[in-house]
Order: sequence, then structure tokens, then C-alpha cells
Amino acid sequence: MRWVLPFAALVAAAWPGKAEVITFYKHITPIVYRSCTPCHRPGEAGPFALLTYEDVKKHALQIAGVTKRRYMPPWLPEPGHGDFQDEQRLSDAQIQTIERWAREGAPAGDPADAAPVPKFAPGWQLGTPDLVLQAPRPYPLRADGSDEYWNFVLPLKLAGTRWVKAIEIRPGNARAVHHANVLIDRSRSARTQEKTPGAGFSGMDLNIEADTFDPDSHFLFWKPGGTPWEEPDGMAWRADPTTDLILNVHMQPTGKPEMVQPSIGLYFTDHPGTKFPMLVQLEHDGALDIAAGTRDFPISDDFTVPMDMDVLAVYPHAHYLGRLLEGYATLPDGSRKWLIRIPDWDVNWQAVYRFTAPVFLPKGSVVAMRFHYDNSEENPRNPNHPARRVRGGNQATDEMGHLWLQVLPRGAEDRRMDLQEAIMRHRLDKYPGDFSAHFNLGALQLARGNAAEAIPYLRSAVEARPEQPVALNTLGAALLSAGNANDATAMFERALRSDARYTNARYNLANALAERQQWEQAAGQFRQVLTESPDDAGAREHLAEVLRLWGNEMAAAGRLEDAASHLRECLRFRENDAALHSDLGTVLARLGRFREAVPEFETAVRLDPRLDTARNNLRAARARLEQSGERGAIR
Amino acid sequence: MRGLCFLLLWAAAGAGSGTVNLEGKAVDPFAPAAKVRVFIFVRTDCPVSNRYAPELKRLSDDFAARGAVFSMVYADPGETSANIRRHIEQYGFPGVVIRDPAHSLVRRAKATITPEAAVFSTDGKLLYHGRIDNRFVELGKSMANPTRRDLEDSIAAALDGRPQSEESAPAVGCYLADVE
Repeated sequence: MRWVLPFAALVAAAWPGKAEVITFYKHITPIVYRSCTPCHRPGEAGPFALLTYEDVKKHALQIAGVTKRRYMPPWLPEPGHGDFQDEQRLSDAQIQTIERWAREGAPAGDPADAAPVPKFAPGWQLGTPDLVLQAPRPYPLRADGSDEYWNFVLPLKLAGTRWVKAIEIRPGNARAVHHANVLIDRSRSARTQEKTPGAGFSGMDLNIEADTFDPDSHFLFWKPGGTPWEEPDGMAWRADPTTDLILNVHMQPTGKPEMVQPSIGLYFTDHPGTKFPMLVQLEHDGALDIAAGTRDFPISDDFTVPMDMDVLAVYPHAHYLGRLLEGYATLPDGSRKWLIRIPDWDVNWQAVYRFTAPVFLPKGSVVAMRFHYDNSEENPRNPNHPARRVRGGNQATDEMGHLWLQVLPRGAEDRRMDLQEAIMRHRLDKYPGDFSAHFNLGALQLARGNAAEAIPYLRSAVEARPEQPVALNTLGAALLSAGNANDATAMFERALRSDARYTNARYNLANALAERQQWEQAAGQFRQVLTESPDDAGAREHLAEVLRLWGNEMAAAGRLEDAASHLRECLRFRENDAALHSDLGTVLARLGRFREAVPEFETAVRLDPRLDTARNNLRAARARLEQSGERGAIR
Repeated sequence: MRGLCFLLLWAAAGAGSGTVNLEGKAVDPFAPAAKVRVFIFVRTDCPVSNRYAPELKRLSDDFAARGAVFSMVYADPGETSANIRRHIEQYGFPGVVIRDPAHSLVRRAKATITPEAAVFSTDGKLLYHGRIDNRFVELGKSMANPTRRDLEDSIAAALDGRPQSEESAPAVGCYLADVE
């Protein structure tokens, strides 16, 4: 029975008896050190320190008030509706202890009773990062006014592809930055929104356009007091030299002008990603059209999962009018599994919630999003007074309804395309004319090699947004794969009319022209591609091939000067091609320029001693040179 | 003679009531006379009062010509004058700085919160005390812009000699009782 005594002592510490005097050191330090100090210390987000007795006593009644209302520590999810890591929720008993302590004069007690003082590492929490990206210039935040949302564009400066196991975001000014989100922009599409390079751009949410299938897979999120998240083995994400990271930062004025210059630390691993998680978004922004004064405006989305999967984390997102946010799954057996329930949404404390254990959803489970909005005058968070009609959109004055899940399909293989297809078909059900659903379904079919099936989706996408260059280009690519080079050419030309600097479309246009044997135009387009993107190995190779074919065609037609010129240009890319030297030698010999022909044949023979044509022609050319001026037959 | 002495001492105590300037010298918060006197109770470590610095500067500038005099009152006896100076400088709080370590002015103004405003008439009568505006509904819950500007209305009423209600909806912020 030796365990009885320590057990009783523990109980006494947690629930002080009615007669016991509650003191700071004995009863309050265990709560404060765990739940307050991580943010409330110098250099961190909390507006004042809560480290010492004097610190805490100076805010005793305030702490009692904010903990009683559960405003602090900030934790939005309702207990019993999802089990999350790092839960920042105080128990009722802890809240009562704080209240009694504050009410009874906040006595100090005996320092010997204190919980161990927490130790915080200064600077980067995961150690020195392998790569640090700092915002190119600080953002000047006004002293006063409403919240601001700013996007910093941070190009990854890498020599080659790396795998990232963790990132750590340093806000640059913890008191002014409320939360931050990193988006991976693999096609560098967001930087076009900057007025000047490095300037950044405003906006609460943003859309990233991608021209390859590489869906978002990880939540890269920072909130005050959060511990940086390290991905488990096999869950690293890929960082390419051509990737931009977009850091979306929510800032709140503090009363004095602030400078905000955040940075991101990246931690690499040699273990590439071998698991294929994906972010699945339930949403119904299209249903958001909330008349002024509406007290309860519900939206919903229901997604049937197409395969067995585990849900690893959840990130609900709405703006200022969101009130009740619910996400749950109905399993095939009819039972309900809660993913999250937030009874009083506060965008200021939005966060990513990671489950303590993955939530398994068998194939056929239906994930439900049920969000409610309050656009009444009585909603203090309503940014509009008087209330006005609010619709879905990216700005803080618009609304949103998203329930993001990080899921990992069961099984070893990469199931993301199948999952993406299910998501996009679901989206098409919601929005029949939708651009992105049509586009993504078309792109998926094309990636699978089904050009014929891709074309109708891509045509619908182009119908929805006739000037969208990526859609025009992808439709062109599908047409080209299906053997319709004429229509493909027209699509690529339209894409380039929308965006003259769209190098991928130009590259495709050059290929389509080559397919149609329009050598001159094809070569011109490839040359332009190489001006825009000098290291494009594919463009060099294709240009060389066009020049070879063009040269041979000219040679066959007897236009020998043109043929020689194209083959010579071709040799700039293929200096070790024996047959090409031989062909050029032949053309020069036919032109009677034996002095130039001989070295070409010599090179051809040196590069490939078995090239009999070159050997014979070399012999003949040398003979002709000796009988100078005479033009001989060249085989 | 003893009576006179006593009266003088009493008068000195009444004038200062424990309020001092940043050098620790006793000051009368009501001198020199002003048409309307506005006290704002603040703290160096209260994010809500910090957030009001630009609004207070605006109000002080707007009403200066009409004879309203603003004072920032720091009531935390544990605070240092150097910290207060830095705070004023960083946030640009307007007006005269007064320290009220004994909370005498706090009691006279019936203040309980930082930031809280108190408006007094020329003859030292408390006309209004309470919130500056309704931007903060409670801690952590605020509107982008206030729809009621209680302090502004109160100062305007005081300058115009219009009657007004002494109390407003309660101020939101940090408790003055925490720094008694």
C-alpha cells in the first residue's frame, strides 16, 4: 500500500481543500508555467511577461477573468469532439484555483513549493536551420486601424532538390504577428501579384496556380506559443530550386508603429518522402451570400471518401463572421466520428489541430462540414457596422468556409491522383460550370495519358475562363498528344496572347509547329524559349532536332546553302554527333566546298570509325581537293 | 498657531493626494486650471491601453484648442519612471504624465480599468468615467472600428456645458486593483 500516500498528495496539489490557502508558488506556478509562460515571456507574443510572482500578481484579476471566460489560454475546440496534441485547455478545477487565488489577495506562499521554472531555448527551437529565408524587406505596420494580412514571397535558394522535415517560422515581431501560414508555390505564380519584386502583396487568403500535379500535402503553420512541428520519417516534403514559399502573415496593430520582417528556417533530411499525404478541402464558399442582419447562416459540404484513409490533422477556416464550426465523419456503419467542433469561432486564434492518434476513415465514410455565420449587428466581430451583405472571397471583409484535412491514404502506393479526382468530381457536383474542377480533371486525365478523355474537361475549363493561359496551354498539350497539331497550335498561340512570357506555352507551340514540319517557325519559337530560359535542356535538344530535320529537308530540295547553315547551327548543340558531321560534309561537298567538307568527314570518322559513308566520302573529297576546282560525285 | 499649521499640512496633502510627476515631485493633477480635464488611466503592460495611444493622441489634438487638457495616469507603484518615459515615447501618448501610486486619483475618478477615462469640470466635479469607446467588447473581442465614442461625446458635452451621464458601459482592459 505504499502508493496510497503519493497518490493522496497529488490529489491535494491539484484540488486544494476549502480550508487551504492557495498560494502562487504551490498552486499557481504549475498552471502558469505550462499554460501561460510559453507565450508570456520577453520576446514572445504575449503582451506582458508571466514569469515571476510579481509579474503574475500584477495581472491576477485579469488572469482570473480571461481564464474563466476561456479566452486564455487560447483553445477553440470543444472537448470530446476530437483529441488533439498540445491541447491548451485548462480544467475547471485549474480555473477555480486561479480565481480563488486572485480573489483572496494573490498570496505568494513559500518559493520552495514552486514547480520547476521552465527552460526556454532562445532563438530557433529546432536548432540552427539548414537554410534561413528572410523576408526581403520589413513590412511597416501602422500603429492603429484594423488587422492586416500580408504575403511575403520567399524564393528558395537551393542548388538542387531537398527534402524538408520541418520548418520554423520566426515572426520577426512576435507582438504584432498573430499567426502565419506558409504556402508552397511550385510554379512561382503568386509573385506576379507583387508590384515590384520582393515587395510582397496584401490579402487574407490566396490561390496558388500550379501547372504540374503536386497537390498541397502539409500544414505549414505558425501560431504564438506553438512548438515547431517535425514531420515523421517518410513524410518530408520536396523543395525545388524553382519553388517560392509564400508566407501569409496576419498582423494586429499594437498602438505604435511596428516593423515586421519574418523569416523561415528549413530543416532538411536525406530521407525523401515515401508516404503521400494530401490536404483535402471541404468548402462551400459558393454558398456564402449572407444578407445583412442574418443571425444564423449555415453552409455545408459532404465529401464521400473514395478509399481507406487516416486523418492526421484538421484546420478549419472562416473569417470574422464564422460562429459555430463543425466537422465530423459518418462511417459506413452509421456511427459518427467527430473531427472538430468549435462553438465560438475566433479567426484570431485559428490553428492547425493535429490528432493525438490518426483518425481512420474507411472507404465510403462521409465527411461533413457544418459552418454557421452571424452577420448581425450584434456580432461584435462583424467588421461591418452597419452590417452589410457579405459574400465568399479572399479579403478580410469577405467570408470563407473551409475545412482542411491532412489525410494519408492507406496502402504503400501514391493514391493522390485518385483522391484528387474524387475531390474534383465532388466540386463539379457543387459547381457545374467550375473552372478549376474541369481544369484539374482534364489535367489528371492528361497526366494519366488519357488525352482523349482530358480534352472535353479542358474545353469546358477554357469555356469558363477563355483567357486563362494555363488552361489554354494544357488543352493545347492534350490536343497535341491526341494528334491534333493544328488545333493545338491555335491553343498555344491563344495562351501566348494572354501571357506573352509564358515560356511553357511557347515551348509547346514550338513542338506543335515541329510536328507540322513548319521548321522555320518551330526553330524561331525554340530560340525564343532559350532566350527566356537559357538552361532549358529540352528546348536545346528539340531545337537541334528541328534544325537537323530542316537541314536535311533543304538538302533533299537542293537548297544546299540553307541546308549547310541549319546543320551548322545544329552542330552547336550536338558537336559529338558523327552522322550530323557526315551530313554537313556531304552538303558542303555537293556545294563543291571540299576544303570545308573534309574536316567534317574527318570528325565524323573520328567520332564513329564504323561510319562507312563518311569514310568513303572523306576519301572522295580528298581526291577532289587534289584535282582542285573539279566537282566530283559524292555518294 | 497649531491649528493653522494643521490646515497648511492638510492643504498640501489635498493638493498632491500622493500624485507625483516622473521626478517623484508631488503634483496637483488639477493644476493649472483647465476648462475640461481628462485623465486616462494606463499601464505600461496593458495591451488594450497601448492600442488606444493613437486614438488618445487624436482626441487630445482635436480638443486642445477648446481647452481640454489630457493627463496620462500611471497607477502601478511598482513601475519605474524610466519605463514610463520609454512607454510614452514609444507609443506617443499625449498630455501630462502623472503617477498615482497610492491610487488617490484612481478613487476620485472611480476608475477600475486601464484604459479608463475620467472627465472633470473646471471646478473638479467628476462628469464622466468609463470606456473611451466601444471598440473592445471584452478582452480578445473587438470591433474593427468603434460605433460609439463615449469619451469624445463626453468632452464635447463638457465643453458645451451640456448635461451628461457620469457612467458609461464598463471599460475593457486590465484591472487597476491588480496594481494596488
